[in-house]
Amino acid sequence: MRALFEVKELVKQFPVGGGLFADKRILTAVAGVDLELFPGETLGLAGESGCGKSTVARLLTALIPPTEGSIRYAGKDLGTMNREELAVFRKEVQMIFQDPFSSLNPRMRVSEILAEPLVIHRIGSAAERRERVAWLMQRVGLSPDHLSRFPHEFSGGQRQRIGIARALAVSPKLIIADEPVSALDLSIQAQIINLLQEVKEELGLCFLFITHDLSVLRHLSDRIAIMYLGRIVETGTRDDVLDNPQHPYTEALLSAIPSIDPEKRRRRLIAKGELPSPLSPPSGCPFHPRCPYAEELCSRVRPELLEKEPGHRAACHFSAKIYRQR
Amino acid sequence: MAPLLEVKNLCTEFRLATGVLKAVRCVNLSVNAGETLALVGESGCGKSITAASIMRLVPPPGQVVSGSVLFKGEELLRLREDEMRGIRGNRIAMVFQDPMTSLNPVFTIGHQVAEGLRIHRGLNRREAEGEAVQMLAQVGIPAPRERLRDYPHQLSGGMRQRVMIAMALVCHPELVIADEPTTALDVTIQAQILELLDRLKTENRMGLILITHNLGIVAERAHRTAIMYAGQIVEMAETAELFKNPLHPYTRGLLASLPEFGTPGQKLATFAGSVPDLKSELTGCPFRERCPIGDDGCAKGQTEMKEAGAGHLVRCLKA
Repeated sequence: MRALFEVKELVKQFPVGGGLFADKRILTAVAGVDLELFPGETLGLAGESGCGKSTVARLLTALIPPTEGSIRYAGKDLGTMNREELAVFRKEVQMIFQDPFSSLNPRMRVSEILAEPLVIHRIGSAAERRERVAWLMQRVGLSPDHLSRFPHEFSGGQRQRIGIARALAVSPKLIIADEPVSALDLSIQAQIINLLQEVKEELGLCFLFITHDLSVLRHLSDRIAIMYLGRIVETGTRDDVLDNPQHPYTEALLSAIPSIDPEKRRRRLIAKGELPSPLSPPSGCPFHPRCPYAEELCSRVRPELLEKEPGHRAACHFSAKIYRQR
Repeated sequence: MAPLLEVKNLCTEFRLATGVLKAVRCVNLSVNAGETLALVGESGCGKSITAASIMRLVPPPGQVVSGSVLFKGEELLRLREDEMRGIRGNRIAMVFQDPMTSLNPVFTIGHQVAEGLRIHRGLNRREAEGEAVQMLAQVGIPAPRERLRDYPHQLSGGMRQRVMIAMALVCHPELVIADEPTTALDVTIQAQILELLDRLKTENRMGLILITHNLGIVAERAHRTAIMYAGQIVEMAETAELFKNPLHPYTRGLLASLPEFGTPGQKLATFAGSVPDLKSELTGCPFRERCPIGDDGCAKGQTEMKEAGAGHLVRCLKA
């Protein structure tokens, strides 16, 4: 099957500082990421704040250009697309944001918010748009009677439903969701997760789900990629990555999640210290200063993302030794 | 043994132009020395206002209208403001959720951590800074002496939260109220901070009220847990008992809605409806409209708390 997205050696650097007296420095937010996304699948991208996962989302939606590397969508490189092709791309790839409070324009009525993507992409007549907007409201579980309301008249969960409806308006093929449930209360979170699951199945969408919450990823993803300091350190099927991690960082992330089930509470592997600054990443393996298994080699040589089992890759020199017994 | 803190029939209201919002409706709870009590609920359930009421920090137009807050037998609600100030930050301390907005951006870390010592214990600047350095080292801040001159914006989120904890603990309080202390942090840092709070709590035999919406944290850290809904505690029990044997339909629903317990690809359990408007007069059980087992009987009178087992209280007619 041909991949919808093919990302190769993606790098994004930002110049920072550079005031009157300070030198400009280079922050490498994404430091060489390879990704593939197939039609109909949900890829979960996980990592802590500052690991570069949101930058990947902005690169994949062509909101910012990459410094190096290529992003191919349906076989075409984003960098070589002409205006028309980019317009089609921007219709087919939609985004859902984290904060339902700041991602909706407070001065627009819901009917205008939902119709705007249709207007921009010149889809349908005014009457058809009205019909589509009413259908969208219903599809995400809101009453079409509320179309003339403003965003502030809705709760956080309802606003997130509006954000989802807006993304669905132009019948996209792929939805990139950046932490879509982490700002919501528990019982609302479950409703939104169910809604995302429903529309995915009903409309045959492909999802890139970005979050730091691995229990949400376990529920929604087919495949998972774990990011650390601008690189993917482990990738594989959901069960491979979460039940049989091959990278100490994945293990640390998993064991840091407080669990209700005492059976699930495994031996705690607490990552030492904090995420290093992406302005001065450590030599060798980016995780080695925090890794409990690190050896001398780890501080010198950066491990490549290599296949450890069929379809399961990890960037660790010693994964075979560390995880042999499990 | 008398509890360290005992809250009885606490009611807090906000008199707004649009009506009276009853944010805390008759809350009873107690915390012993060395114990962690978790206060759990969704936004707007009154858990933070309960904490603010205990500290007498309810923002106007809110006010505590009735009830009692006994701290080692002393009624906090009747203290004069200057007496209360001698307790706040000294014998009862708070850790807030967002270290960026709770630290003062124009003072150094050293100044802010030492401030409590200078005010409550009358130490001079040098003595206070000496103790502040020790405290910063205890909460795991590397090179604490150099950090004294740093401003909050120079530290990472995890480090700022450690500074908040150092500020709260520097006067060796007997009770700490931590309001979502790790919600703003990444999971690996969250694990470090919770370990730290637990260790310091055990070492100093503090009581800890942990306010959170993360049930995983509760299960791992709290001795007892109180579940709040619409301003009331609806269920309270030893944590292990509560998770093994949840009785209130709201508690059961919360647990069932966790992705952790769902089957991947299957639907998660959800509640219908939403939280009732706390400005209206609530009769009967406030959860009944969303409740899968409620009936007409639930609409009448006030549902009282009843004991369903040793130390297991639940506010439900059907449980």
